[in-house]
Amino acid sequence: MKKLGLVLLTLLMSATIVFAQSGTVTLRWAYWGSESRIKRSQQAIDLFMAANPGIAVNPEVSGGTGDHFNKVDTQIAGGSGPDIIQMGGNINDYVKKGVLLPLDKYVGAILNTSVIDPSAIESGTIDGHLYGVSTGVTMPALVYNKSLLQRVGAPLPKVSMTYEEFRAYLVSLKSKLPAGVYPMQDIGALSSNSTPFGYWTRYNGTPLYRAAASSTAVTAAAAQKYFELFKDYRDNGLVPPPDVAAGFAETNADTSMVIAGKAVIGFMWTNQLAGYQAATKDELELIEFPGAAATKALWQAPSQFYTVNKYSKNPELTVKFINFLVNSPDAAKVLGNDRGASASATARAAGSTNVNDQKVLDYLSVSGPHSSKETDHVPNDTEFNSTLYLIYQKVAFGQISPAAGGQQVYDLIVRLIKK
Amino acid sequence: MKNRTARRISAGISNFIIIVLGVGMLYPVVWLIMASFKESNTIFSDPALIPKAFTLQNYARGWKGIGIVGFGVFFKNSFIICGLSVIANVIFCSLTAYAFARLRFVGKHFWFAVMMMTLMLPTHVTTIPRYVIFRSLGWIDTFLPLVVPKFFATDAFFIFLLVQFIRSLPKELDESALIDGCGKFGIYIRIVMPLTMPALITTVLFTFLWTWDDFFNQLLYLNSPAKYTVPMGLRLFVDSSGMSSWGPMFAMSVLSLVPCFVLFFSLQKYFVQGITTTGMKG
Amino acid sequence: MNKKARNRAIRDNLSSYAFLTPWLLGFFLLTLYPMLYSLYLSFTQFNILQPPQWIGLRNYFVMFIGNNQFPRDERFLNSLFVTFKFVFVSVPLKLVFALAVAMLMNQKLKLIPFYRTLYYIPTLLGGSVAIAVLWRRLFAGDGVLNAILRGAFNLNPPAWISNPKYALYTLILLSVWQFGSPMIIFLAGLKQIPREYYEASSVDGAGKVRQFFAITLPSLSPIIFFNLVMQMISAFQSFTQAYIVSGGQGGPLDSTMFYSLYLYLKGFGFSEMGYASAMAWVLLIIIAVLTALAFKVSGSLVSYGSGE
Repeated sequence: MKKLGLVLLTLLMSATIVFAQSGTVTLRWAYWGSESRIKRSQQAIDLFMAANPGIAVNPEVSGGTGDHFNKVDTQIAGGSGPDIIQMGGNINDYVKKGVLLPLDKYVGAILNTSVIDPSAIESGTIDGHLYGVSTGVTMPALVYNKSLLQRVGAPLPKVSMTYEEFRAYLVSLKSKLPAGVYPMQDIGALSSNSTPFGYWTRYNGTPLYRAAASSTAVTAAAAQKYFELFKDYRDNGLVPPPDVAAGFAETNADTSMVIAGKAVIGFMWTNQLAGYQAATKDELELIEFPGAAATKALWQAPSQFYTVNKYSKNPELTVKFINFLVNSPDAAKVLGNDRGASASATARAAGSTNVNDQKVLDYLSVSGPHSSKETDHVPNDTEFNSTLYLIYQKVAFGQISPAAGGQQVYDLIVRLIKK
Repeated sequence: MKNRTARRISAGISNFIIIVLGVGMLYPVVWLIMASFKESNTIFSDPALIPKAFTLQNYARGWKGIGIVGFGVFFKNSFIICGLSVIANVIFCSLTAYAFARLRFVGKHFWFAVMMMTLMLPTHVTTIPRYVIFRSLGWIDTFLPLVVPKFFATDAFFIFLLVQFIRSLPKELDESALIDGCGKFGIYIRIVMPLTMPALITTVLFTFLWTWDDFFNQLLYLNSPAKYTVPMGLRLFVDSSGMSSWGPMFAMSVLSLVPCFVLFFSLQKYFVQGITTTGMKG
Repeated sequence: MNKKARNRAIRDNLSSYAFLTPWLLGFFLLTLYPMLYSLYLSFTQFNILQPPQWIGLRNYFVMFIGNNQFPRDERFLNSLFVTFKFVFVSVPLKLVFALAVAMLMNQKLKLIPFYRTLYYIPTLLGGSVAIAVLWRRLFAGDGVLNAILRGAFNLNPPAWISNPKYALYTLILLSVWQFGSPMIIFLAGLKQIPREYYEASSVDGAGKVRQFFAITLPSLSPIIFFNLVMQMISAFQSFTQAYIVSGGQGGPLDSTMFYSLYLYLKGFGFSEMGYASAMAWVLLIIIAVLTALAFKVSGSLVSYGSGE
């Protein structure tokens, strides 16, 4: 009887030990993405888990940036934020609110930054601390429908043009296109219009924001010129009238005027090319914003960042996982260019190409030399985009003059910097 | 004979009106079904209603879900959440409604006003404190925050709905039942429940449909892909910064309507004449 | 005797409260705290991620009054105006349509189960992406409607959905088109009218029209009232359709910027959850006043059963 009790006790104890050992640490990785990104990310997770027994990674994936940030904000406010947070152009706002972990002390030992492009590291560095590791590089670009041009017998555009050449090209297109099809979408009518506008301010040497000095170089007159540029296009039928333009939110392929076949030229980020191409049988190609060659006004930006929640219970393991994602050749192979063309030399060496990736790489090789360091984002990124959109529409619909619009944009930027 | 012809003509006119109006109603679902058979790269670029080439690819790919979890799992999760919600709402909303509609108690008007007020505050501003409550209970990443509140009759819409239906029942019914020796609970079970059948069916239907579509709460409280639901799964086919799978999204949208159709079609026959007062009185 | 009566009253009260217990528990445990907390937040500046800061009445001040330092929020007033217009046009239209269809669906026709399902389809589609795509197809500059107008009447119509003058009306139409929920509730209400009422009046020789006004409308009045109040409340809180059709922007030119959409944009987009909470409480007060008014007026118009 005693013996049996002893056996039972040992069994029980060994069971406890086994269970204690098998208690794995789970890292929570919040990102946005769709089917293909989820598959690729899971393959990377599987590789990591195979190499690191005892660590599990739970992907908390949402279908888009809106859903993602609603969820993450609520989770952080509720005291249960994820360990890894995928971040976009709003990274500065999250740093300012003190919810992200500075990664400086992990650099070297856990996070190998020596193989990552210095510019990518720089863009994740805010107020002197590294907060975000770039997932890959992307660039603003104009996209055009090559098949449509060939069907109407119009010449294809040059990759690099001046604003004069560009306007002349649009005019030449107009005469060839059937009614209801426009040479270009009114790219101020996008909800992410801070990018085309941001380009214009860089082109004029009046960048939107300098974080170090908390100031803007934009003037009301500079913004006014932007409105006048597009007013000229609009008045001459080079871009659609405001109510037609507003019918396409340009948030994705489903609301894209180019995909709908109603405009030849539109705006996108290079990492969106594959997604847009998948929504049409026509062939899409990329060209630069006008005037980039002379002014180097284009820029490369991290398409997204991996950041770490300040309250993560396992910061070291989390950083280790991020290091795996950005630097491991194995991870690079399964992740591909889905989050942008990789910024890590070791990852890029793994290489993998398809037609769309090749188009992007070709574009990057031309535009890379036509770009310079990214301008800091205006604080309160979402509000800036949303309000700029409203002001732009007021001008487009003729409710206010370009001069008044310029003034409102200037006031907006000043207000957001102070907010 | 004459009467019959007149009835036929009147039925014919009714049918005609219904069908003409109905064509407008049907168009969207036809469009959706057609889109689900189109190739992804033609859905937005080719405006024609009828696809140039029919493909079943979208259904095959869509059913595989997001690669790591199949769409069948999303259906299963949605069914569990909806099923529990339906049961809870039918029982607890009708209990509460019965109290408000038929029983006398101190503070009735006050509590009724409070109940109505809970309907009037936009939910977006209560999201965070509610999240804090459920987190302190350790319920994040479970179905509990989505289901348990329904067991506490938090869906005031249905309480108010049932209140209105119960109040419009003839009062003599429960008076006669009182004489027959029924208690309050007896009246609720034997008289109120059966006589408000159309309203209870409405509650079942709407609870199911609205829970089936309740994306925002499911997004907030479910973290592991294996626990995701149908509307969450649908959103995961589309992402503006990457590859969107429109075809599978539309295919699974069509599929996600099927349970709603089936439920609606099978429940609508219960919308039958509810009361026969003469029978009760007799 | 008096004591006995009081005891009975207490017992009566207690047993009534037993029925109310689940709801009361839910209210105190799950609903009250979030409501009070949002009321507190409405007096703060709260960016969600950092602790809220007390600013007194400033949020309310910015909404309605404003000064040089804190200018009045014109977008707020616009959203309020847009929403009122939406509510007062869409709700009556939707209710009349829903009641008319419910009466059509209350007939004895062979195909009625099929018809009912057919008419519920628009509502089933709810707020899916398909609706956004579809509405654009119908009401865009080169949409189906304009193709008809151009072809049949040789008109030159505007792009309805993206023209600031008309965009709101396309959303009103969308709301009326999704009339399924009030229709079903009307149908359930019609089914609850005792058949003998009609039989008795038929014997008296009353025609269909007189029956409608003498029997259907009064018997249905609690349900009409319910639909009116609930449709009003939900129209004031309208969010999803405007969100998906306008891509979350309330455009063009804020012409479809519903109150709830702006509230959401402020709270989650612009990280001003304190301001959003203040907006929520202003809306609550507006809805509460209108609902109370409806209850007051209904006292004389709504008849409950034969007992009252």
